[in-house]
Amino acid sequence: MSNKRYAMVLDTRKCIDCKACTVACKAENHVPLGRENYRNWVMEEALRGRYPNLGQEFTPGQCMHCANTPCKRVCPTKATGVNADGIVTVENKKCIGCKYCMTACPYNARYYNEEIGAVDKCTFCEHRILTGREPACVETCPTRVRVFGDLNDPNSEVSLLLAKHPHRVMKPEMGTKPYLFYLI
Amino acid sequence: MSFATVIPKRPGEMLWFGLLCLGMMAGAVGVVQVLIHGHDHVYNVSREIPWGILISTYVFFVVSSTGLCLVSSLGDVWGFEKFAIIGRRGHLLALLTLVTGFGTMAMELNHPIRMGLYAIISPNFTSAIWWMGALYGFYMVCLIVEFTSLMRGWTRLAFWSGLAGFFAAITAHSNLGAVFGLLEARHFWYGSYMPIYFIVSALASGAALTVLIVYFNHKARGIEMPPVYQEFMYTMGKLQALFLGILLFFVVWKIIPGLYGQPPEKYETTMAWITGPLAFNFWFFELGLGILIPLIIVANRRTRTVFGVMIAGLLSTIGIFFMRYDLVIAGQMVSMRPEAVEGASHGLIHYFPSFTEIGIVIGALCLCLFLYSLAERVFDLEGGHRH
Repeated sequence: MSNKRYAMVLDTRKCIDCKACTVACKAENHVPLGRENYRNWVMEEALRGRYPNLGQEFTPGQCMHCANTPCKRVCPTKATGVNADGIVTVENKKCIGCKYCMTACPYNARYYNEEIGAVDKCTFCEHRILTGREPACVETCPTRVRVFGDLNDPNSEVSLLLAKHPHRVMKPEMGTKPYLFYLI
Repeated sequence: MSFATVIPKRPGEMLWFGLLCLGMMAGAVGVVQVLIHGHDHVYNVSREIPWGILISTYVFFVVSSTGLCLVSSLGDVWGFEKFAIIGRRGHLLALLTLVTGFGTMAMELNHPIRMGLYAIISPNFTSAIWWMGALYGFYMVCLIVEFTSLMRGWTRLAFWSGLAGFFAAITAHSNLGAVFGLLEARHFWYGSYMPIYFIVSALASGAALTVLIVYFNHKARGIEMPPVYQEFMYTMGKLQALFLGILLFFVVWKIIPGLYGQPPEKYETTMAWITGPLAFNFWFFELGLGILIPLIIVANRRTRTVFGVMIAGLLSTIGIFFMRYDLVIAGQMVSMRPEAVEGASHGLIHYFPSFTEIGIVIGALCLCLFLYSLAERVFDLEGGHRH
């Protein structure tokens, strides 16, 4: 069976900033309490226009599961790796807590998890997708901002969305080749 | 060792060791705090600024070690007779600053023991931190062999280990610059500037510490400095003028590209460094105490006395400590996601070390000085150059 290339497509126009994705992720992945402990987030973009003609967008984000992975490159003990399906992973027992990956990530997608004794980040809920389920953030989103799937399958929803709509990635100038795509 | 008995009773020695013990106790309290409560609760580092004062102090120590090794090698390796008198002391302090630096780094790491294991069985050769460990490890072996050879009078081995240590120091230290310089995400650090700058600043750091150990070694023993050492101090003064001049050049050329055209993230960081939260550190400690005042002292023939060169060395050392701090913190002050940081002003994140972090830094500095002072009592560091 050929490998998958997992990706996520996000339509930020649908995001209502309810943060259900963050809550679902924290509950699903046992993310410890604390303001700095989170695997995904919703960023409030700047307000557009003047009252009463106002507009604002909310941009959800998480580990971008980059193809050109700075965190993997800098990790001295290969604790950070990329699996066959393109998911960037952390092997907890190998993490020495040097936090080099945290300084290398241009998206600030990583935090140190004191409870597991390692740097932690989004794994696309790898344990769920192995059993055919979607990541918790995708499943819980009330307005279906996020769509998750396999880009190696040309008929998957993510492939079709990217074929149909123009899209962008975060910080393309970094050359990280992210696999979170934002519809324009 | 019998030599210890011939050292004259040093005035204030008890007070000196007492102060160092107090400092080490502050460090020990900090270490216990970390072991009991964990990093997260006692350090002020964060998700946004994961590297704090312990990393900058580690950099300070290893920069000092490299500088001391390079300056000391001028005599034993490169044949400059005048520098042979500093060989033993320089290499010893290079070794001690390196070991203390490793200790400081270990306190910043969450799992230093895991590091020892997985750096060997699961090495990542694309990681500058892995190379840092490997190269500094090799450098430490070179220092141990060279110091032992110098003490035993094995001149041939001293030469070869010194030569290996010289190149190991340059490789390891430029690689330390690359630890920062290879981070594309951090615009203030990224580029080939850092490895080169680290070597240049190491020379200034090493020269400053060299004159301090020569001066205080005589002062503490209450003996007048013999002409050969006075001559050495004058030479070091001239060399330090050159090193500080080059360092000033590097500082100026760090600032100009950071301002010119207001490059994103680099500009904000540079402004934070020279006009923002780090401005006092920059203008007073880095530029004033660290470079300009010492440069004026050592560049002027009238003030380039033994005492003047020592003062310049002392000021430079203090300034360079802040130089390391500013460099490490400034590079992380611009948020990767500015909108996400609560309390961030102008998109900048603030960091100030906790009492525990400061305690560990004081402890590390005192431990290094304590070990060196003890070594002065135990070893014959004059060697063949006894006056």
